[in-house]
This record gives sequence, C-alpha cells and structure tokens, in this order.
Amino acid sequence: MKTLDEFRAFYEGELMKDLRALEARRAGICRNLLILFVALALIVLVIGVALGMAGGPAAVFVPAVLSVVIGSLAAAFMTKGYKRDFKLRIIERIIRFVEPQLNYKPTGYIDRETFMMSRIFTTRPNRYKGDDLVSGTVGRTDMKFCELNAVHESGSGKNKHRVTIFKGLFFVADFHKDFRTKTVVLPDTAEKLFGRLGQKLQAMNVFRGSLIKLEDPEFERHFAVYGDDQIESRYILSPGLMERIVQFKVKTDRKIYLSFVASSVFVAVSYTRNLFEPRLFRTLLDFTPMQQYFEDVQLAVGIVDDLNLNTRIWSKE
Amino acid sequence: MWWIPVAILAVPLIILVLIYNGLIAKKNRVANVFGTIDVMLKKRFDLIPQLVVAVKGYMKHEREVLEEITQMRARAMQGISDEEQVAMDGRMTEALNKVMLAVENYPDLKASGNFLHLQRTMTDLEEQISAARRAYNAAVMDYNNAVEMFPTNIVAGMMSYKTKRYFEIPAEERAAVKVNLDR
Repeated sequence: MKTLDEFRAFYEGELMKDLRALEARRAGICRNLLILFVALALIVLVIGVALGMAGGPAAVFVPAVLSVVIGSLAAAFMTKGYKRDFKLRIIERIIRFVEPQLNYKPTGYIDRETFMMSRIFTTRPNRYKGDDLVSGTVGRTDMKFCELNAVHESGSGKNKHRVTIFKGLFFVADFHKDFRTKTVVLPDTAEKLFGRLGQKLQAMNVFRGSLIKLEDPEFERHFAVYGDDQIESRYILSPGLMERIVQFKVKTDRKIYLSFVASSVFVAVSYTRNLFEPRLFRTLLDFTPMQQYFEDVQLAVGIVDDLNLNTRIWSKE
Repeated sequence: MWWIPVAILAVPLIILVLIYNGLIAKKNRVANVFGTIDVMLKKRFDLIPQLVVAVKGYMKHEREVLEEITQMRARAMQGISDEEQVAMDGRMTEALNKVMLAVENYPDLKASGNFLHLQRTMTDLEEQISAARRAYNAAVMDYNNAVEMFPTNIVAGMMSYKTKRYFEIPAEERAAVKVNLDR
C-alpha cells in the first residue's frame, strides 16, 4: 500500500503537468458556461417581458423551462470531453499508481446480474447506472470494483416514486475459501435500536434465510448476518475475518454490506457523493480532491488486504 | 359471549404448545449440528494415516505426538461416546497443531507437493470443524437460554430438559490462523 507522502510526491512530480493543462480547459469551459448562462437569461427576460405584456406571467414559464433544458444539454456536451480526458489522464494514473497491474474503464461497470447475484439487495433496480470500472489481480486475488447507482422507480407522472437501492462503491473479488451456500452481512439497524427484541425481529426476516448469531459481540453490534447454512456461514466468517470486517467498518465509517455467494465476496460501500468525478467550478490545482481520489482508490483496492483475501492456506488455490 | 371461556382455555394452551415445540426444535438443532461435527471429525480421522505416513520419514523429534495421534484414532475407530468424542477433540486438535508447527523445522517436508496438498486439506478441515464447533455453541446457547429463562424454563422443567455443555474452543483458534504457505 502506498502512503500519502508517496502520493504527494507523485502528484507534484507527475500529475501536476497534466493537471495544469486540464485546469486551463476547465477554466475555458466555465467561461463558456457563464456566457451561455447570461445569454439564455437575457433571452428569457426579453421573451418574458414581451409575452408578459400580452399573456400574463404564465407565458414566461415555457421559455424558462426550455432554456434550462437547452442550458443543461449544452453544459453536458461541453464537459463531456473534459471529463473523459480527466479520467484517462488523472484517475487512471492514480489507480495505476496504487496498483500498477489494474485496468481501468471509465464508462464500464459491473452489470445488473452480478449486482443481483450478490443477494445483498433484494429489490431489482430498473434504473441502473455505473461507471469507473477497475479490474485486475491484486496479489493472488482477482477483483473488480466500480461506482454504482441503482434506483427503483415505480408509478408515473405525479405518483412517480423513486427509491435508491444503492449508491456507492461496489466491489467483487474471488474469495479464498470454497463454499456452496450464501451468506449476507448487513448493517445492523434493528439490534442497535431494540436490543434482544431487535434480534427477534431480525430472525423473522424470512426472505433472507436464517439469522446467524455470531459470537463476536463487537461484530454483532455492527452487523446482522443471514445465511442458508449455520456452519458454512461460520466457516466463511472466521473470528479473524469478523475482526477484520469490524476494523474495515470503523475505518471507512460508512454503511457497508457484504455477501459471500458462489465462492466470491461482494462488498458494497455506501456513498452520498459521486466518486472519481472531476470538479468543474473549482480549481483542479488543489491537493485535497486528489487526495480524495487517491484515498477512494486505496480503500477499494485495500479491501483485498483488509479481508486478507491473499492468504491461500485453505483447499482453494 | 360463549367465546370468552374458550379463549381463556385456548390461549394458554396455544402458548404452551408453542413453547413446547420451540424447545424441541432447539434441542434438535443442537443434535443436528453435533451430527455435522461428528462427520467432520470422522473425516479428520480418515486423513490421519495419510498425514502420519507423509511426515514419519522426516520427523525425528515428534515421534511421541505422532504415536499419540495414531492411538487416539484407533480408539475412536472402536466407537466412543459423544462425551469422549468432545473430550478427545480438544486433545486431537492440540496434537495436530503441534505437528503442523513442527513442519516449519523440516524444509524438505515443506517442499513436498504431496504434503502441501495434505496440509491445505487439513487446514481447511480444521477451519470447518472450528466453524461447526461455533455453530454448535450458538445452538447450545439458544437452547440453554430457553431452558433457563422465564417462562420457557417452566415447560423445560416439566420436560426435564437440562442445560448442555459448550464445546471448548482452543485458545489458538480464537486468534487468526498462523500457518503460512508463502515461500
């Protein structure tokens, strides 16, 4: 694992030149957006005044909406190339800096079938987006991760209802033990609030399989575990792994979900912000956002070490 | 209002049946998990002759441990009670751990592909046995809680259910596995 000081040296020595070039482009885009915005505002104002005299305030509504649509389309068009170049020239190099043998696809993502296969989330999303797919082998472990945004939309028009199923980082890796059944580790909400009664409630969650009560109290405080097989779930969640998962949870300080299905481990880390996206309205020549990208990559790649996936002492090679 | 006396009679009866069935389910789960441990321990016994053959040629200072392991296996093959099984499991795990640790002193042995495969299988099996022991203890805790806590303890008393003993988890198992195959 690389340290922050090493990254700072890399930032100053290697990234800076490209960042300056991108910064010039960013400033240009901002200027153009400002011009566009002023122009659209003027048009709306003129039309508004003209129509306002004739047809009342409602008439202003149509050109205003229209200009918002045109404005955002134009902004998306203008920033598209900039975003792509930023990802290829900055994000990709940060990823390679953390782990040289990884591949990066800015527009790739883990497909919906894999997302559902993890069994972490039971609702099937009908709006499923993702990007920043990173894949490769870390040590002896095949892994991949990407940013995902999975939403379920129901109804239409005024009754439209959107539920975010998951937004954040989704990680899949080959697990170092073989197993046949599924085990799901979810953030514990019921037990935290209701104690023993909460545990009773959890046990009644029949869609998830049976509740696995584990003996690590710290782990039990953070998570609720469901599985098909009491013994196999414990075979997977050894005392050592439970401790590591707790440490990972404390380190990230986010909502995390794990599952063990088909000899793979799935980890979902919840984020509210977007990952690996360039800033547009603030300067790029600042270490703080770069540090953030670096730490996000480090966190994802680090899951392999955090969960000790490279230890191959069990029968699986 | 005919249903009031019926309810007064029926409700406690239903509760009684639920508690009774719950206790039986818990007792059966303990027995079920114990059965799994039993299968795994048998698997381990099956691996022991292979292990002894593989290491005997190399190990000079560990004769006694190997001897002990072989004897334990022979005794288990003759058929022993569950309690003896539990007691022997602890000693067996300890003895096998000694052998596995001693392997570090014999580079030739560590280089043998045959032995490495055996070692992997053993580590895996130990991990599975450990998981089964933990599952057993969790089932026992559930059962014991029901036997001791109010109101289920009253029914358990009538069924003359007694608390069950936990499997001892060896101290080294609580720490992460130390065996290292990286060369």
